[in-house]
Amino acid sequence: GISHCPARRPAPCEDSRVKTPPSPLLAGAPPTRRHGPRQVVPCSRLSPSPLSSHGAQPPAHPVSAFPRRRLMHWHPNPGVTLNTQILSEACGCAESLGGTKDGRWKTSIIFYRPMTRDGAGGAQQNLPPDVPRELLGVALHERPGLYFSILRNQRLVLQADAAFSQVMEKLQSFKARVNLNFEGFQYQLGDFCLRIGKCVPNNTETLRGIMMEVEYYPLSSIEKSRAIMVDFFDIWQETLAKKSLPGRFIHVESNFAEYGLSDHYSFQHTAVQYATCLQQLMAAVRA
Amino acid sequence: MECVVQGIIETQHVEALEVLLQGLSGVPKERVRVHELCLKSVPMLGAVPSEVRLLCDLAQPTPSWTIRHVGGAMRGAGAEQISILVRTIVESKASSNVLRYFYGIGYKLDHEILKVGFAFRFQRGAQFTVTVTSANKMPKLHATDEAVQVTPGIQLVEITAPAAANNYNDVVSAVTSFCEYLAPLLHLSKPGNSTGIVPTAGAAAASLMSSGGAKTL
Repeated sequence: GISHCPARRPAPCEDSRVKTPPSPLLAGAPPTRRHGPRQVVPCSRLSPSPLSSHGAQPPAHPVSAFPRRRLMHWHPNPGVTLNTQILSEACGCAESLGGTKDGRWKTSIIFYRPMTRDGAGGAQQNLPPDVPRELLGVALHERPGLYFSILRNQRLVLQADAAFSQVMEKLQSFKARVNLNFEGFQYQLGDFCLRIGKCVPNNTETLRGIMMEVEYYPLSSIEKSRAIMVDFFDIWQETLAKKSLPGRFIHVESNFAEYGLSDHYSFQHTAVQYATCLQQLMAAVRA
Repeated sequence: MECVVQGIIETQHVEALEVLLQGLSGVPKERVRVHELCLKSVPMLGAVPSEVRLLCDLAQPTPSWTIRHVGGAMRGAGAEQISILVRTIVESKASSNVLRYFYGIGYKLDHEILKVGFAFRFQRGAQFTVTVTSANKMPKLHATDEAVQVTPGIQLVEITAPAAANNYNDVVSAVTSFCEYLAPLLHLSKPGNSTGIVPTAGAAAASLMSSGGAKTL
């Protein structure tokens, strides 16, 4: 039967498919690895038996109202150009771990810039210094009725209806400038859901980045799920390392407390993580 | 888009109006207690100066916030002829940090008001909302518990109904005919065009209260 992971450091898994790969780690694995090669895996959820009995059906186990989610972005090695092969390899990696593809997903981020009386986008130096030079709008794939707006300089995330973007249009104080889509495939993997995708500007195919979401269904608590997320990430990195790809996935912690968000996970946490992830992707592109 | 009319009534006749609205709508009244904050953009921000209203519904056990943008009234010869204002409205629910958010993006508080009263929401050729409220001002910032009436003895009546570009004529007709039922008690017109209280209100209220009282016997 299916049981969710009971402890922070579960017992070794018997499944050979997901057993930690032998050391030494292959090139491309994260240099900041904390645990070294281990003989433990996050949870029996990764074993094929429950998966094979359920196929691609939704998980039949305790699912938290707001499952904990963690975002990672692809950080290419210096001098390496981003390409979609990374995406295919990462998807292949999800499948080799026993993941079942169950659809597509999409999240949109909209950049807003302040408008001024001098004309759209012009002479921003005339604006009072406390007016932010940028706002982020986040529309999450699984909650089309919601809209999030993030003020990064003030560490503030607002949750509103989808109609919020119409309010902004009417106010004519900030104008949507760039629309970035994060889109790709979703994989069910026991208690986990993996979403692997690319970041592309709206109406183009120019690749701006690659990222992934890992969602752990049973837990909402960020603290309680931290160890299992770390373990999962380690296995993911080890599996991906076998492919010798020119770069690695990195998770950058968002400071939820600064945004006034609690340990109990919510959509606002996801919106904040997208803002952090985007910042990293842009920094990587600039580098 | 919404159709809207407003009027005023003396507080002494509000009970009669409530009886009338109850009879016409057939629905129970809802309590209204809304803290409304009007914010304006700081100079230089935006292509045009802009204004946004944040409404905090204090009638619920957990206060909820709504962002409301009231757009311009429909213009043209047709719009002049009707006694109902048709205007664009965009509303969005928001988390409780919405005031901080708007301060953060460059809006300042212009004024705030507490509206207290009741509302009837019902379907009658259109989705009607009739609110009867008194406006209260706060002696100190956000001090809703210390609010005092702006116009003692007078309450504001507002009828709104959502409309769309393809049906606002029907909604205007529905609102116009509904206003006729209320005519003995109050006169309703476009916001800003108040025509004051109705001389027949006293007699109409007395009649309503006597018939309303007879019903309860």
